[in-house]
Amino acid sequence: MRLKKTSIALATALSLVVGLAVLPNANAATTVKMVLWPGPEGDAMQKVVDSYNSSQGKKDGVTVKMILLSRDNTFAKEAALMKAKSSEYDIYFTASYLVGQHAPYLSDLKGVKDSLYLKASVNSLKVAGKQKALPLDTSLHFMYYRKDLIASLSANAAKYTSIAKTVLGKDLKPNTNPATWNWDDALATAAFFTQKYNPESPTKYGYALPAKNLLYNTMIWNDVLWGLGGNWLKNGQPNLNTPTGKAAIDVYNTIYTKGLTSPESSQWEYAETNSALTSGNAALALQWNAAYSELSTTGATKDQIGIAPPPGKGQRTHVHALAVGLNKFSKNQAASAKWMAYLATTPAMKTYAGAGGVPSMPSILEGMVASNASFANIIEYAGKYGYSESAGPREFDIYAALAEVLSPAWSGQKTSADVAAAADAAIKKLQK
Amino acid sequence: MSTTFSRERKIAGWLLSAPLLILLAGLLIWPMYLGFKTSITHDILSEFETYPAGFENYKNLLVEPNFWSSIRFTLIFAAVASVIELTLGLGLALLFDRIFPGKRFLFSLMLIPIMIAPSLMAVMFRLILNENIGIVPGLLSKIGLSYSIFDQSNIFTSLIILDVIEFTAFTFLLSYSALQNMSSEIYEAAAIDGANKRQTLIRITLPILKPALAIVFLLRILDSIRTFDSIYILTGGGPGTSTQTVGIYIYKTAFIYGDFGLAAAAAIVLVLLLTPFMPFIIKQFNLGTESTK
Repeated sequence: MRLKKTSIALATALSLVVGLAVLPNANAATTVKMVLWPGPEGDAMQKVVDSYNSSQGKKDGVTVKMILLSRDNTFAKEAALMKAKSSEYDIYFTASYLVGQHAPYLSDLKGVKDSLYLKASVNSLKVAGKQKALPLDTSLHFMYYRKDLIASLSANAAKYTSIAKTVLGKDLKPNTNPATWNWDDALATAAFFTQKYNPESPTKYGYALPAKNLLYNTMIWNDVLWGLGGNWLKNGQPNLNTPTGKAAIDVYNTIYTKGLTSPESSQWEYAETNSALTSGNAALALQWNAAYSELSTTGATKDQIGIAPPPGKGQRTHVHALAVGLNKFSKNQAASAKWMAYLATTPAMKTYAGAGGVPSMPSILEGMVASNASFANIIEYAGKYGYSESAGPREFDIYAALAEVLSPAWSGQKTSADVAAAADAAIKKLQK
Repeated sequence: MSTTFSRERKIAGWLLSAPLLILLAGLLIWPMYLGFKTSITHDILSEFETYPAGFENYKNLLVEPNFWSSIRFTLIFAAVASVIELTLGLGLALLFDRIFPGKRFLFSLMLIPIMIAPSLMAVMFRLILNENIGIVPGLLSKIGLSYSIFDQSNIFTSLIILDVIEFTAFTFLLSYSALQNMSSEIYEAAAIDGANKRQTLIRITLPILKPALAIVFLLRILDSIRTFDSIYILTGGGPGTSTQTVGIYIYKTAFIYGDFGLAAAAAIVLVLLLTPFMPFIIKQFNLGTESTK
């Protein structure tokens, strides 16, 4: 009898303990898991996450946990998770050029104030008119040039004209204002600063050409295409096998085959382009805005780096935004939406900018021009010259396919005539 | 009586092998089944729905020029790299098959490349060989030499050299181990019979080492066929698809073009292409014959 009572008491106590353990804690915060990649963006976002978790997050009942996947393979890992309709992460890292591919797996975002953001950035994250992701960092391109070298062109006008005639077969005069350059000006200047044509040039090559088979290099080449008045599509049809498309391919082909860039640039991307400039081996390059911090403070380009829009006319700099989007299969939709709402505020993005991010909010960038002069150019160029291809769900695939098809012509293995039709065929295959 | 004993031995054999077989099934057969299932599915990242596609992906793959050009590049790369690595590895093993001062130190030095992950090695090469900031081009220019390692005309040679630097240590190590297992009596007998060094090498050492060298060569060639990370980091498979291995083709198809069905079909075809090597390897291991023990 006594044993029975003891057993009942023990069972009751055990039930209580187990019951209390499994009962949901009314005060427990919901954990939202967000993917980002390591590097300046991940570091800056950690500050925002910490700030939210210690203040607004407590009111919202939300704790944000950031997961940094590898910088090279974040999107590949996300692709596998998306395809498996995984709910492992609540918020995915995405970008303008990927949002079409990711859109089926992202919830629509409501209440995003377009007016707070750079127009080109926020619009590049819309799919079928619906906002699919929230902009973080904006990226675009500058034509970087050595100010000290460009200033010397006027004093060497005859030599410049002679070299331009030899290399390009055109009668050109020096143009010392890169903001007004067309591609002939850029090529002639690159030739002038190439030792093969001008042994007195302080740089071995005039240009640093990122010609590796890499989709991000297609984004840079797009600037050439747009600057010459071309585009991937015309009336919805591929449009590279045209005089303008071929002329854009020929610009890269000329730079490479005439020796205005290093022969090794067929394998160059961001880092090598930067090192060619900072080492004093090259005088010009179209390059990402993110390079400014390094170029303005390092090596031969320290205090000598100038910024201009990409040569040509019209809208001619690629613009994209890194972004975050809400996983459609997340089991924490409401909590994730609260965090995203916070992330869309100016204070959150101020924290982000203060920690090294480059938010897409012009009001914040304006306030930081003193610390990074290129922010003024970002605001100006994104508005005046900013452009983003919108080729549908497989835009990302088209960038990669074009890099694959065009890079042999960029590096002089083939001609524009050899690859232009194949480029159109690649676009056609991936269009929906 | 003996039949019962034999049956019990067989059952015991299966029971003892069971954990390994279950592990194999979980880690190999199940993923392969999933891979095959994906290969007969229309499964594209930008399209939410997936649906059965029969052998459509295989048909598309057969007429996909990039797949076949990547197979061709992979086979040429694997054959050239493996032959050079085996020759150098064997040569080094023969050199090290004697006592000399500093042998231990040099032996350890030889093994360093194989301890470094290929992706890390590729990143190191990108920095060391960078024309603008790399130490190698810097030293070459100091002595008046100029060699563009990543120039289009040199890229294949450069990739082979980098692979050889990394994996010769592997062929060296296995060849050296095989040499250590050879009985010294054979050499003594050869010396008594008046064989010189060249004759000993060609008529004794190499024939005895042949099965071991065949295995080393096959292991290297199979590994080279799977090459992905180093070339992807150095060239991205380009310009165009000129240095694209089949591994890079599969990766790009799946994770850049988002076509998981086609990528899975390519992976299955690759496995089928490699399968004919297996009987040869098994033969070298003498697995088909009864042990005398």
